[in-house]
Amino acid sequence: MDHPFNYLTLMQFCWSCCSIIGFSIRMNLKGIKVLFIALGAGINWGTYLVILHYSKSLLLSVFLSTILVCIYCEIVARLVHTPVSVFVTCVIIPLVPGSSLFYSMRAYLEGDRALASHHIGYVFLIGGTIAMAIAVVSSVTLLGKRIAKSAIGT
Amino acid sequence: MNKLEIKEASDVILEVGRILLTSGSTTNRVETMMIKVANCFGYPKTHAFVTPTGIFLTVSDGKIEHRTNVHRVESRQMNLGKITAVSSLVNEMEKAHCDTSLSKMSISKLKAELYRADHTKNWPTWLQIFSGGATSGFFCLLYGGSWLEFAIAYAVGVLVSLSVYLLGKLRLTLYLATTVGAMLIVLFTKLFGVWVPYYFKTDNIIIGGIMLLVPGLAMVNAIRDTMSGDLVSGMARAVEAIFIAVAIATGTGVMFKIWTLLGG
Repeated sequence: MDHPFNYLTLMQFCWSCCSIIGFSIRMNLKGIKVLFIALGAGINWGTYLVILHYSKSLLLSVFLSTILVCIYCEIVARLVHTPVSVFVTCVIIPLVPGSSLFYSMRAYLEGDRALASHHIGYVFLIGGTIAMAIAVVSSVTLLGKRIAKSAIGT
Repeated sequence: MNKLEIKEASDVILEVGRILLTSGSTTNRVETMMIKVANCFGYPKTHAFVTPTGIFLTVSDGKIEHRTNVHRVESRQMNLGKITAVSSLVNEMEKAHCDTSLSKMSISKLKAELYRADHTKNWPTWLQIFSGGATSGFFCLLYGGSWLEFAIAYAVGVLVSLSVYLLGKLRLTLYLATTVGAMLIVLFTKLFGVWVPYYFKTDNIIIGGIMLLVPGLAMVNAIRDTMSGDLVSGMARAVEAIFIAVAIATGTGVMFKIWTLLGG
C-alpha cells in the first residue's frame, strides 16, 4: 500500500501539467512545444514526489528530478527545434521555492525569527540546488558537444 | 564574394540581437545568433559583446571594412515565443546556404520576417490573462488546495495578471511592478476572504499567485550565462533574480502588515 504510484501522484502530475500550460501560453509560446513543456513539468513534479517518498530527502529529490528533466529538455528541445533555455525556464517552475518565500515572510511578520530564517534557508538551498542541477546538465552537454566536434574535426 | 553593404548588414544584425535580448534570451545565445547572421552576410571577423543591458558589435570582413555599433537596451520583457521565432529564423537562414540571403530581394524579406517576429502575438491578450489565472489556480491545487480555493486562486490569478499587464503599460521598473503585483495578490485574497461566505485557507491561494511572479527566467539565464563564461551577465542576472525574490517578499509582507493594521 505504501508506495507513491497512486492516484494522488497522478493528480499532482496533472495539476503540474495544467499550470505550466497556462504559464507557457502567458509566455507567448504556441504549438506542440506547449505540450512537451507541460509534460516536462509533470515529469519534474512527479519524479520529485516519487524520489521524495523513497529518499525522504528534499534537496536530493529536487536535485535528481531537475537533472532528469533537464536531460529530457536537452533531447526534446532539439527534436522540436527550440532553444533549450526556453524549455528549462518553463519546466523548473513547479520546484521554484515560492512557498518557502511566502512562509518565511509570514513567520517574520508573526515575530517568529527562527522559523523565518528556517524557511529563508530553504529558499536559498532549493534555489541553489536547482541552479546546480541545471549547471551540471548544461556543462555536460557543452562538453559532449566539444568532444563530438573534435571527433568530427580529426 | 558578393557581400551586403556594411551599414545594412550591421543594422540587420543589431535588430536580431535587440529582439533576442529584449525578450529575455541568454547573452551567449544573442552573441552566437548575431555572429551566425554576420557570417551569412560575408563578415566572418565579426565580434559581439552582449550584457543584459546593451549590445556592442563590431562588424568586419577582416580586410578593409569595419563598423562598430553600440546599442542600449532599455526595457526587457519576458517573451519566449519571440526567442523561438528569431532563433529558428536564423538557423533556417544558416542552413539554406547563406548565399541566397545576400540578394537585395531576400534581405527585405528577412527584415519583414524579423518585423513579423517582433510584432505578432501568438495569443490574444485576454487568453494570456486567463492563462495566468489557470497557472495560479492549478498551483494552488498542486500545493494541496481545495476546489473552492482553486476557484478563488483562479480569480486572483486573472485579476493579478490583468493588473500586471496594465502596470506594464505605465512602464514601471520590473521590481516595482513585482512588488505591487505581490501586494495585490494578498489584497485580493484577503478581500475574497471577506466576501466569500465559506471558510478557506489563504496560504495556498497566495502561493499560487506568487508562482506567477517568481524569477524563473532570471535564475535559468544566470546559470546558463555563468556556465558559458559570461561572468558579467551571469552575476547581473543572479542579482536580478534575488532582487525579484526580495520584491515579492516585500510586497506580500507590506500588504499583510497593512491589512493587520486596518484590523483585518
